[in-house]
Amino acid sequence: MRAHSSTQQSPKTSDKKVVIIGLDGVPYSLLKHYTELKAMPHLHEIVSAGNLLPMNSSLPEVSSVAWTSFMTGKNPAEHGVFGFMEIDRNTYEYIFPNFLSLKAQTFWEVLGLPTVAVNIPQTYPAKPFNGIMVSGFVAIDFQKAVYPKRVYEYLKSIDYRLDVQSELALKDPEAFFKSMFYTFEKRTEALKHIYRNDEWRIFIGTITETDRLHHFFFDSARGGKYHDVFIRFYQMLDDFLWEMFQASQKDNALFLTCSDHGFTTIQTEVYANRYLIEQGMLTLSGKNDLCGITSDSYAFCLDPARIYIHLKDRYARGRVDIGEYNSLREKIKYLFESLRYEGKRTVQKVYFKEDIFSGGYFDDAPDLYILAEPGFDMKSSVKKESIFGHSHFRGAHTYHDAHLFISDDVTGDITSDLTIEKIAPIVTKYLST
Amino acid sequence: MEQHEKDTLLKLHIDQKVEKAKSVIREAIGKFGIKKIAIAMTGGKDSTANLSIFKQVCDEMKVNLPVCIFIDEGDVFDEIREFVDYIKHLWSLEIVYLKNTDVLSQVTNIGDAIPVNFLNEINQAALREIDFSESLLTFLPDSTVCNHLMKTIPLREFITSNHIHAVSTAIRWDEQTARKDEDFFSERTDPFHTRIHPILHFRERDIWIAIFKYDIPFNSLYKLGYRSLGARCATSKLSDIPAWMQDLENTAERVGRGQEKEQIMGQLRALGYM
Repeated sequence: MRAHSSTQQSPKTSDKKVVIIGLDGVPYSLLKHYTELKAMPHLHEIVSAGNLLPMNSSLPEVSSVAWTSFMTGKNPAEHGVFGFMEIDRNTYEYIFPNFLSLKAQTFWEVLGLPTVAVNIPQTYPAKPFNGIMVSGFVAIDFQKAVYPKRVYEYLKSIDYRLDVQSELALKDPEAFFKSMFYTFEKRTEALKHIYRNDEWRIFIGTITETDRLHHFFFDSARGGKYHDVFIRFYQMLDDFLWEMFQASQKDNALFLTCSDHGFTTIQTEVYANRYLIEQGMLTLSGKNDLCGITSDSYAFCLDPARIYIHLKDRYARGRVDIGEYNSLREKIKYLFESLRYEGKRTVQKVYFKEDIFSGGYFDDAPDLYILAEPGFDMKSSVKKESIFGHSHFRGAHTYHDAHLFISDDVTGDITSDLTIEKIAPIVTKYLST
Repeated sequence: MEQHEKDTLLKLHIDQKVEKAKSVIREAIGKFGIKKIAIAMTGGKDSTANLSIFKQVCDEMKVNLPVCIFIDEGDVFDEIREFVDYIKHLWSLEIVYLKNTDVLSQVTNIGDAIPVNFLNEINQAALREIDFSESLLTFLPDSTVCNHLMKTIPLREFITSNHIHAVSTAIRWDEQTARKDEDFFSERTDPFHTRIHPILHFRERDIWIAIFKYDIPFNSLYKLGYRSLGARCATSKLSDIPAWMQDLENTAERVGRGQEKEQIMGQLRALGYM
């Protein structure tokens, strides 16, 4: 590994700065591919000045959980975010955890350093703190998504967009691409402006347009109908990364890019609740959603593949006695491990909660977590009539194949088995020594 | 109307309040005639109370009840449909159901987005009218934009094609500040018609007193704790206590109606969740 510059002096602890560009859903393997293809010439150069590593996501491998693990350096049972939604144990209605329900401190709150945090998923609504925050997905009200107010006024003045209009992807791909490029242009404009005009020691800006493009069109990432859009977009991303990298080098800052999960092309969607229904594990009455879970149900799934046992002492209509808990989990584990699609395994591994979660919010963790084989997109939808199906989505998240790039050799001995949780300790150590 | 007049009306005994409502209705019938009036019904407590007083007046005058209109904004509680059906048979009502079929035919879920250029010209014009310039319309019943498309537009069409001169609704002064300047008869433009507000001077408490005193039917959702009913997605309850047993005077009636949750679901669905 090469040091990023032999002529630069290491900054003093009190001056150290970190710049992190989050690239939502950008796989290690795709960056390798694009740098080899010379589609990202600048990244090729950036990477030669540091270390590009494959990294694992969090479990569940969705943005809300993974970015929260990134921000806190904790596992979900410590930070309390297990997915985009939870279910009320009495009414079975959806609950949506947001930034206010986060149970752990972010690494920048722990360090107490002035920080810019733009567009990190699961940071809505923005809270007042020592810095600038622009919330990422799911952000609803623009004003509530920005702290402080002067930054809101600025963002409004440049027509900043919180997110791409993903709803367009199905009906009108061209309009979707237009929205994606526009959102990216405004996002990067805002990031560069804030970088230059504000005081910070930690600068985090996340690009989520990548994830949106991948969800709907990942089958074009390496060729295909919309490949030219991919190349055009990744070249713009390459230019942006180059600008940020150069600026960070001028400021003598540590430069990182990372993604929260990988992506692969979908082979099939897998509807876990439908499978549970067909196996007699789940019955729904009347309404076509989880509100209709009956007292005959043993288990249910929340996105993407969190299985909850319908325990008597946990849910209003629960039926499972604690004595049956372990044998039921074994049974469900077996059911999913043996679920095949066209002869192929669909599930890589089924975890029990104690295998992967530990912390004060362990009780809220799913009782089982199913890690699907890459390309098998597990979903909780209950409206499906068969276990497997296809929709307009073309990309599925992967646990493996996220990436981390660091411009300097500061990863120490934790480069093996690297997960997104490890970034916060790396950055914290760098900034405090 | 002067504030002191309003205060006097608000302080009346329930029987006197009903008498005042009846005199407003009699005046309306005298002025417009039964055939030129329509009564809005939502299946909620206020509109049912209003309708019940209307019925009493019509029975006394030995005339038929005016036509009733029910507007389907695209996300109606099953309990509301059932209740409206029940009232319809109980009181032999003539009900016209209004809805915006162009919008409804293009959505499957709340939170779905419709490209504006997929809508028909009437709806596109309706959006321009309220300065809506986005290329996508998010289907969120009870939001300002959707209320305009789903309620105002079908109602407007109904009023025009049936030559209706007056529409009775069950708004009340104490519901929300936007209604505190209303009068028993208020004129509306586009299209020109008069709104009749017979129970404007009832407080939330009065509605419940009237319901129990005069044995007016009410929707079972109130028993579950709902205080105010709107589109299903925009209505929630903050208590499991029946509405009439809650602290009506010190808590807000319409707080259980919000949209942020539906917007979150819409965004998550667009990315394949839920």
